[in-house]
Amino acid sequence: METQNHIDVRERPPLSNARLAILVLLGAETMLFSGLIGAFLVFRVGNVTWPPPSHIGIELPRIVTGINTALLLISGYTMFQAWRAIQKEKVKQLRNWLLITGVLGLLFLGIQGSEWVQLIRKGLTLQSGVYGGIFYVLIGCHAVHVLSAVIWVFTVLGMAIAGRFSAEQYTGVDTCTIYWVFVVALWPILYVLVYLT
Amino acid sequence: MSRFFFAVTLLIVVMLIVPTYLEACPACKTLDDPISKGFNFSILFMMAMPFAVFTVIGGTVFWHYRRANREPMD
Repeated sequence: METQNHIDVRERPPLSNARLAILVLLGAETMLFSGLIGAFLVFRVGNVTWPPPSHIGIELPRIVTGINTALLLISGYTMFQAWRAIQKEKVKQLRNWLLITGVLGLLFLGIQGSEWVQLIRKGLTLQSGVYGGIFYVLIGCHAVHVLSAVIWVFTVLGMAIAGRFSAEQYTGVDTCTIYWVFVVALWPILYVLVYLT
Repeated sequence: MSRFFFAVTLLIVVMLIVPTYLEACPACKTLDDPISKGFNFSILFMMAMPFAVFTVIGGTVFWHYRRANREPMD
Protein backbone atom coordinates (compact mmCIF):
# COMPACT_ATOMS: atom_id res chain seq x y z
CA MET A 1 0.00 0.00 0.00
CA GLU A 2 2.82 2.32 0.94
CA THR A 3 4.51 1.53 -2.35
CA GLN A 4 1.26 2.25 -4.16
CA ASN A 5 0.98 5.67 -2.48
CA HIS A 6 4.58 6.39 -3.34
CA ILE A 7 3.90 5.64 -7.01
CA ASP A 8 0.77 7.83 -6.99
CA VAL A 9 2.69 10.79 -5.60
CA ARG A 10 5.35 10.31 -8.28
CA GLU A 11 2.75 10.11 -11.03
CA ARG A 12 1.07 13.36 -10.01
CA PRO A 13 3.60 16.02 -9.03
CA PRO A 14 2.24 19.16 -7.27
CA LEU A 15 3.05 21.23 -10.33
CA SER A 16 2.45 19.42 -13.61
CA ASN A 17 5.15 19.38 -16.28
CA ALA A 18 2.81 21.18 -18.68
CA ARG A 19 2.22 24.02 -16.21
CA LEU A 20 5.93 24.30 -15.45
CA ALA A 21 6.69 24.39 -19.18
CA ILE A 22 4.14 27.13 -19.83
CA LEU A 23 5.54 29.12 -16.90
CA VAL A 24 9.05 28.91 -18.36
CA LEU A 25 7.70 29.90 -21.79
CA LEU A 26 5.92 32.88 -20.28
CA GLY A 27 9.12 33.83 -18.44
CA ALA A 28 10.91 33.95 -21.80
CA GLU A 29 8.02 35.90 -23.35
CA THR A 30 8.14 38.39 -20.47
CA MET A 31 11.85 38.95 -21.11
CA LEU A 32 11.16 39.48 -24.83
CA PHE A 33 8.53 42.12 -24.09
CA SER A 34 10.75 43.67 -21.40
CA GLY A 35 13.42 44.24 -24.04
CA LEU A 36 10.90 45.84 -26.39
CA ILE A 37 9.39 47.99 -23.62
CA GLY A 38 12.92 48.95 -22.55
CA ALA A 39 13.64 50.12 -26.10
CA PHE A 40 10.36 52.04 -26.13
CA LEU A 41 11.25 53.74 -22.82
CA VAL A 42 14.59 54.89 -24.22
CA PHE A 43 12.81 56.65 -27.09
CA ARG A 44 9.81 57.84 -25.08
CA VAL A 45 11.70 59.27 -22.11
CA GLY A 46 14.56 60.38 -24.36
CA ASN A 47 12.29 62.59 -26.46
CA VAL A 48 10.91 65.74 -24.89
CA THR A 49 8.13 65.94 -27.51
CA TRP A 50 6.22 62.73 -28.20
CA PRO A 51 5.31 61.96 -30.93
CA PRO A 52 8.49 63.42 -32.45
CA PRO A 53 8.07 66.65 -34.48
CA SER A 54 8.14 64.68 -37.76
CA HIS A 55 4.94 62.83 -36.72
CA ILE A 56 2.99 65.60 -35.01
CA GLY A 57 -0.05 65.32 -37.31
CA ILE A 58 -0.48 61.60 -36.67
CA GLU A 59 -2.61 60.66 -33.67
CA LEU A 60 -3.03 57.11 -32.45
CA PRO A 61 -6.69 55.97 -32.21
CA ARG A 62 -7.01 55.99 -28.42
CA ILE A 63 -10.78 55.56 -28.10
CA VAL A 64 -11.14 52.69 -30.59
CA THR A 65 -8.16 50.95 -29.03
CA GLY A 66 -9.69 51.53 -25.59
CA ILE A 67 -12.84 49.70 -26.74
CA ASN A 68 -10.59 47.01 -28.22
CA THR A 69 -8.84 46.73 -24.85
CA ALA A 70 -12.22 46.14 -23.20
CA LEU A 71 -12.96 43.37 -25.74
CA LEU A 72 -9.68 41.65 -24.93
CA LEU A 73 -10.31 41.94 -21.19
CA ILE A 74 -13.76 40.38 -21.68
CA SER A 75 -12.09 37.55 -23.61
CA GLY A 76 -9.91 36.95 -20.54
CA TYR A 77 -13.08 36.52 -18.49
CA THR A 78 -14.65 34.15 -21.04
CA MET A 79 -11.46 32.07 -21.13
CA PHE A 80 -11.54 31.83 -17.35
CA GLN A 81 -15.16 30.67 -17.55
CA ALA A 82 -14.13 27.98 -20.06
CA TRP A 83 -11.48 26.80 -17.61
CA ARG A 84 -14.03 26.68 -14.78
CA ALA A 85 -16.56 24.86 -16.98
CA ILE A 86 -14.23 21.93 -17.69
CA GLN A 87 -13.40 21.65 -13.99
CA LYS A 88 -17.12 21.07 -13.43
CA GLU A 89 -17.28 18.57 -16.33
CA LYS A 90 -19.51 20.93 -18.36
CA VAL A 91 -18.12 20.21 -21.82
CA LYS A 92 -20.85 22.04 -23.73
CA GLN A 93 -20.21 25.22 -21.74
CA LEU A 94 -16.48 24.77 -22.33
CA ARG A 95 -17.06 24.71 -26.10
CA ASN A 96 -19.28 27.82 -25.98
CA TRP A 97 -16.87 29.83 -23.84
CA LEU A 98 -13.91 28.79 -26.03
CA LEU A 99 -15.81 29.82 -29.16
CA ILE A 100 -16.66 33.22 -27.65
CA THR A 101 -13.04 33.70 -26.57
CA GLY A 102 -11.71 32.86 -30.03
CA VAL A 103 -14.21 35.17 -31.74
CA LEU A 104 -13.33 38.03 -29.35
CA GLY A 105 -9.64 37.45 -30.11
CA LEU A 106 -10.32 37.59 -33.85
CA LEU A 107 -12.39 40.76 -33.35
CA PHE A 108 -9.49 42.34 -31.47
CA LEU A 109 -7.11 41.47 -34.29
CA GLY A 110 -9.55 42.72 -36.93
CA ILE A 111 -10.04 46.10 -35.24
CA GLN A 112 -6.30 46.46 -34.72
CA GLY A 113 -5.66 45.56 -38.36
CA SER A 114 -8.11 48.22 -39.58
CA GLU A 115 -6.41 50.77 -37.27
CA TRP A 116 -3.05 49.89 -38.79
CA VAL A 117 -4.36 50.37 -42.32
CA GLN A 118 -5.58 53.86 -41.39
CA LEU A 119 -2.28 54.73 -39.71
CA ILE A 120 -0.28 53.55 -42.73
CA ARG A 121 -2.49 55.73 -44.97
CA LYS A 122 -1.72 58.69 -42.70
CA GLY A 123 2.00 58.08 -43.17
CA LEU A 124 2.96 56.15 -40.04
CA THR A 125 5.01 53.26 -41.38
CA LEU A 126 7.79 51.05 -40.09
CA GLN A 127 10.31 53.11 -42.05
CA SER A 128 8.88 56.53 -41.18
CA GLY A 129 11.09 56.90 -38.11
CA VAL A 130 11.66 55.77 -34.55
CA TYR A 131 8.02 56.45 -33.61
CA GLY A 132 6.59 54.23 -36.33
CA GLY A 133 9.28 51.60 -35.90
CA ILE A 134 8.83 51.08 -32.17
CA PHE A 135 5.03 51.29 -32.46
CA TYR A 136 4.73 48.57 -35.09
CA VAL A 137 7.37 46.31 -33.51
CA LEU A 138 5.89 46.49 -29.99
CA ILE A 139 2.20 46.36 -30.91
CA GLY A 140 2.86 43.96 -33.80
CA CYS A 141 4.72 41.56 -31.53
CA HIS A 142 1.72 41.50 -29.22
CA ALA A 143 -0.63 41.02 -32.18
CA VAL A 144 1.41 37.98 -33.29
CA HIS A 145 1.01 36.58 -29.77
CA VAL A 146 -2.74 37.17 -29.85
CA LEU A 147 -2.91 35.44 -33.24
CA SER A 148 -1.01 32.42 -31.93
CA ALA A 149 -3.25 32.37 -28.84
CA VAL A 150 -6.36 32.46 -31.07
CA ILE A 151 -5.01 29.52 -33.12
CA TRP A 152 -4.35 27.69 -29.85
CA VAL A 153 -7.89 28.41 -28.58
CA PHE A 154 -9.47 27.07 -31.77
CA THR A 155 -7.22 23.99 -31.60
CA VAL A 156 -8.38 23.40 -28.02
CA LEU A 157 -11.98 23.97 -29.18
CA GLY A 158 -11.50 21.28 -31.83
CA MET A 159 -10.17 18.93 -29.18
CA ALA A 160 -13.13 19.76 -26.91
CA ILE A 161 -15.56 18.96 -29.73
CA ALA A 162 -13.73 15.65 -30.21
CA GLY A 163 -14.36 14.92 -26.52
CA ARG A 164 -10.73 14.93 -25.45
CA PHE A 165 -11.26 16.78 -22.15
CA SER A 166 -12.83 15.85 -18.84
CA ALA A 167 -12.78 17.16 -15.26
CA GLU A 168 -9.77 14.92 -14.58
CA GLN A 169 -7.92 15.49 -17.85
CA TYR A 170 -7.83 19.08 -19.13
CA THR A 171 -4.15 19.99 -19.52
CA GLY A 172 -4.78 21.51 -22.97
CA VAL A 173 -7.40 23.90 -21.59
CA ASP A 174 -5.23 24.67 -18.58
CA THR A 175 -2.10 25.70 -20.51
CA CYS A 176 -4.14 27.57 -23.13
CA THR A 177 -5.90 29.54 -20.36
CA ILE A 178 -2.59 30.51 -18.73
CA TYR A 179 -1.20 31.69 -22.09
CA TRP A 180 -4.37 33.60 -22.93
CA VAL A 181 -4.42 35.34 -19.55
CA PHE A 182 -0.78 36.37 -20.09
CA VAL A 183 -1.58 37.86 -23.51
CA VAL A 184 -4.64 39.66 -22.11
CA ALA A 185 -2.81 40.98 -19.03
CA LEU A 186 0.06 42.30 -21.14
CA TRP A 187 -2.14 44.40 -23.41
CA PRO A 188 -3.33 47.10 -20.91
CA ILE A 189 0.33 47.77 -20.02
CA LEU A 190 1.20 48.25 -23.70
CA TYR A 191 -1.94 50.33 -24.28
CA VAL A 192 -1.13 52.73 -21.45
CA LEU A 193 2.54 52.96 -22.47
CA VAL A 194 2.12 53.39 -26.22
CA TYR A 195 -1.29 55.04 -26.60
CA LEU A 196 -1.80 57.10 -23.44
CA THR A 197 1.66 58.40 -22.45
CA MET B 1 50.65 44.31 4.13
CA SER B 2 49.78 47.45 6.10
CA ARG B 3 51.02 49.55 3.18
CA PHE B 4 48.60 47.68 0.91
CA PHE B 5 45.67 48.38 3.23
CA PHE B 6 46.74 52.01 3.53
CA ALA B 7 46.81 52.32 -0.27
CA VAL B 8 43.37 50.70 -0.63
CA THR B 9 41.91 52.92 2.12
CA LEU B 10 43.40 55.99 0.49
CA LEU B 11 41.93 54.93 -2.86
CA ILE B 12 38.47 54.47 -1.32
CA VAL B 13 38.68 57.86 0.40
CA VAL B 14 39.70 59.50 -2.88
CA MET B 15 36.84 57.74 -4.68
CA LEU B 16 34.35 58.98 -2.09
CA ILE B 17 35.65 62.55 -2.19
CA VAL B 18 35.80 62.90 -5.97
CA PRO B 19 33.22 60.46 -7.36
CA THR B 20 32.51 62.50 -10.49
CA TYR B 21 35.97 61.71 -11.89
CA LEU B 22 35.48 58.02 -11.36
CA GLU B 23 32.10 57.40 -12.98
CA ALA B 24 32.35 54.35 -15.16
CA CYS B 25 29.22 54.91 -17.23
CA PRO B 26 29.57 57.79 -19.70
CA ALA B 27 25.77 58.07 -20.03
CA CYS B 28 25.33 58.75 -16.29
CA LYS B 29 27.47 61.90 -16.33
CA THR B 30 24.76 64.04 -17.88
CA LEU B 31 21.69 63.04 -15.90
CA ASP B 32 19.69 66.07 -16.97
CA ASP B 33 19.90 65.00 -20.58
CA PRO B 34 16.60 63.30 -21.67
CA ILE B 35 18.43 60.59 -23.63
CA SER B 36 20.45 59.66 -20.52
CA LYS B 37 17.27 59.63 -18.46
CA GLY B 38 15.68 57.34 -21.03
CA PHE B 39 18.61 54.95 -20.94
CA ASN B 40 18.73 54.95 -17.13
CA PHE B 41 15.00 54.32 -16.85
CA SER B 42 15.19 51.51 -19.39
CA ILE B 43 18.23 49.91 -17.73
CA LEU B 44 16.55 49.95 -14.31
CA PHE B 45 13.37 48.46 -15.79
CA MET B 46 15.19 45.66 -17.59
CA MET B 47 17.37 44.97 -14.55
CA ALA B 48 14.26 44.45 -12.44
CA MET B 49 12.51 42.12 -14.87
CA PRO B 50 14.62 38.92 -14.39
CA PHE B 51 14.06 39.20 -10.63
CA ALA B 52 10.33 39.64 -11.18
CA VAL B 53 10.20 36.64 -13.54
CA PHE B 54 12.16 34.37 -11.19
CA THR B 55 10.07 35.52 -8.22
CA VAL B 56 6.80 34.73 -10.01
CA ILE B 57 7.97 31.31 -11.31
CA GLY B 58 9.64 30.40 -7.99
CA GLY B 59 6.63 31.65 -6.03
CA THR B 60 4.23 29.58 -8.15
CA VAL B 61 6.33 26.41 -7.76
CA PHE B 62 6.65 27.03 -4.00
CA TRP B 63 2.90 27.67 -3.63
CA HIS B 64 2.00 24.47 -5.50
CA TYR B 65 4.39 22.33 -3.42
CA ARG B 66 3.25 23.86 -0.13
CA ARG B 67 -0.39 23.30 -1.04
CA ALA B 68 0.35 19.69 -2.00
CA ASN B 69 2.11 19.09 1.33
CA ARG B 70 -0.88 20.47 3.22
CA GLU B 71 -3.38 18.19 1.46
CA PRO B 72 -3.69 14.79 3.18
CA MET B 73 -2.56 11.87 1.02
CA ASP B 74 -5.17 9.14 0.54
